[in-house]
Amino acid sequence: MSGLFGMLAMTARSLEAQRFGLDVVGQNIANVNTSGYSRRVVDFAALPPTSPLNAGNGVEVQGVRAIRNALLDRRLWQEIPAEAMQGAIADALSIAEVALGDPGASIDAALSAFFDAWGRLSEDPTSTTARQQVVLQGEALATGFRDMVSRLTLARRDADARIRGVVDQINALTTEIASLNVSIARGVAIGTDVQALKDRQAEVIKALSAFVPVDVIAREDGGYDVTIGLGRPLVIGASDFRIETTAVGPSGFVTLSANGVDITGEISSGALGGLLHVRDTLIPGYVSRLDEIAYALATEVNTRHQAAFDATGAAGLAFFEPPAATAGAAAALAVNAAVAADPSRVAAASTPDPGDNTAARDLAALRDGRVMFGGTATLHEAWGRLVYQAGTDTQVARQEQRTRREIVMQVEALRDSVSGVSLDEEAAGLIRFQRAYEANARFFTTVDSVLQTLLNMVGR
Amino acid sequence: MTRISFQTEFRHALADIERTALDLMRRQREVSSGRRLQAPSDDPTAAAAAVTEHGALAALDRYEQAGSSVEARLRLVDTVLSDIIEQLTHAQAVATGALGDTPTQAQREAAAMELAAIRDALFADLNTSFRGVYVFAGTASTTAPFVRNADGTVGAYQGNASTIAVDIDRGRAVRVTFDGGALVQGSDPQDVFGILETLRADVLAGNTPAIEQGIAALKRVFDRAVQLQSEVGADQKALEIGAVRLTTEKLAARKRLSTLEDANMAEAISAMNRAETAYSAALGAAARLTRPSLMDYLR
Repeated sequence: MSGLFGMLAMTARSLEAQRFGLDVVGQNIANVNTSGYSRRVVDFAALPPTSPLNAGNGVEVQGVRAIRNALLDRRLWQEIPAEAMQGAIADALSIAEVALGDPGASIDAALSAFFDAWGRLSEDPTSTTARQQVVLQGEALATGFRDMVSRLTLARRDADARIRGVVDQINALTTEIASLNVSIARGVAIGTDVQALKDRQAEVIKALSAFVPVDVIAREDGGYDVTIGLGRPLVIGASDFRIETTAVGPSGFVTLSANGVDITGEISSGALGGLLHVRDTLIPGYVSRLDEIAYALATEVNTRHQAAFDATGAAGLAFFEPPAATAGAAAALAVNAAVAADPSRVAAASTPDPGDNTAARDLAALRDGRVMFGGTATLHEAWGRLVYQAGTDTQVARQEQRTRREIVMQVEALRDSVSGVSLDEEAAGLIRFQRAYEANARFFTTVDSVLQTLLNMVGR
Repeated sequence: MTRISFQTEFRHALADIERTALDLMRRQREVSSGRRLQAPSDDPTAAAAAVTEHGALAALDRYEQAGSSVEARLRLVDTVLSDIIEQLTHAQAVATGALGDTPTQAQREAAAMELAAIRDALFADLNTSFRGVYVFAGTASTTAPFVRNADGTVGAYQGNASTIAVDIDRGRAVRVTFDGGALVQGSDPQDVFGILETLRADVLAGNTPAIEQGIAALKRVFDRAVQLQSEVGADQKALEIGAVRLTTEKLAARKRLSTLEDANMAEAISAMNRAETAYSAALGAAARLTRPSLMDYLR
């Protein structure tokens, strides 16, 4: 009798185990679309017999495992920053690229119009209208340079605003990691299931690595310590360390600091690194090239203009306000106020004779003058090189992003092949546990029937 | 064995849709705008080359405009020089008619009046201006090169010996104003107006040797005018040839620019069709993610 009752108890345990198996399958299916979810596997163990007349005590649930590969997680955290960096560069530069305008409809067109005006003046050196045109086209060209600097500066400001936003997101994520560290450590200590927390932990670190490259060190209590740059801590156990942004004048662009140390120069990847690269290196490089063109234009025009004579027979003034230095020349480019106010001060003659047009011809011919880069390029060609540089930077960033994205997708596929939920696999699990449950139930019925037979014999 | 998870399939399908949709959008824009270059990053080398070509095209346009303006001026100068030559020829004929003892006093007076009329015509010719610029005043182009004195005679040349040249191409300039002094006087002691005044007096006086000297002096002016007209003619011819060359260069530059910037429509449409097919295929493949699964067989 006791054996039959023992079998009933064993079957009840088995039924519970198979029901639990179904429960785990249900959990996996429910999370098929949950980002970062690692599939769960239930572990069963056979219970040994307690006497020679006992085949065994059935099955018990040993636990539920989350299937994950820490190495693949780490690999993902290492690959994501490079992709995010190139993506951020490509996005930010596409704004700068638009700012540069189309070929033949930007600074190059303004340069052509300016030299055309000198050409028209050379045809008719005593014409007031032609002089006025030279001044107007000079002002349009100067405005073109200044607007271009403004647009590029705006693109830098946009990158800076995004840097601030990214830092806020980084700080929110590090706070969450620290909080998860606490929960995981507490869960491990009291023996509760922390797999869901660990999934979330990995997902948060993945999100963080898209913003900034991180070094992740596993803790004994199950959590993670996270550092950036030259080992600057972001999360140590339960503590998170914020990245602070400080606006520095006159540009108002922010510098980043961790624990009071400036780490701006230490961030070389991730979306943050990409935005910093655009803000501090790429766009300033374009502005610097623009400054070189503006400086060469102003000095070359001024040199010729000052050696010439205006309509009154007086020596020419500087046509453009003389630039103090190459840096800032584009932003400060302007037609000399005295010339702008009185077009007769436009100097077209190489002699005091106002009918002479030699200087105007010389200035018109400056369009072909190789005055840039040590006498190797014209002003137009210098602008073309700037367009080429910006175009290449954007193109390279896009191509690099595509390549990096492929790598990230490959690693994600590898990670999914270990941790991802396969619906076919889960369907097989459903059948497996359902059939096992049915068989156990049938076994229970059989034992019950045997027990009934025995009880009937006793009652007779 | 590699496990295939739903997430992997979904992620790859989505990435393929995004990639092909982006390509299709780019191709569509290429076809609808007719432009291959939407941004410098589409082809940085072509974008930089397009900047240079636009600059070259603008310069060619400018030289073409300058050539057109110069051509109009030279046509005027040519007409004026033709008139000057005609007047000088007529003056020589009138003076020749007054030679010897045959002409009567009345005929001499008529000849002198004719010479005065020729002087006035030459005065008007040499003070010709084009849009306010005196063409025979050198670079003193806003000053009338010849002014009439109170007694009706013409004063000395007011212009200068420099000339205004206009660039009609790289390294090719053409004169548009001329040294009226060199034309009317050259190395002679008198200018054409002085010669005509003296000749008029000599004709009235019937001074045959002096008239002959006057005719010889007019001949020298005539020669200089003919020389100048042939120079102007040569410049006009050069302009004509230059205009043809500029047009050819512009066409070539436009063609190069078109190759750099414009879409090859046949190629672009074909590429768009391919992109559309790829996009449809990616969408179709993604739709097949709901393929039969073991789940379908569970009852």
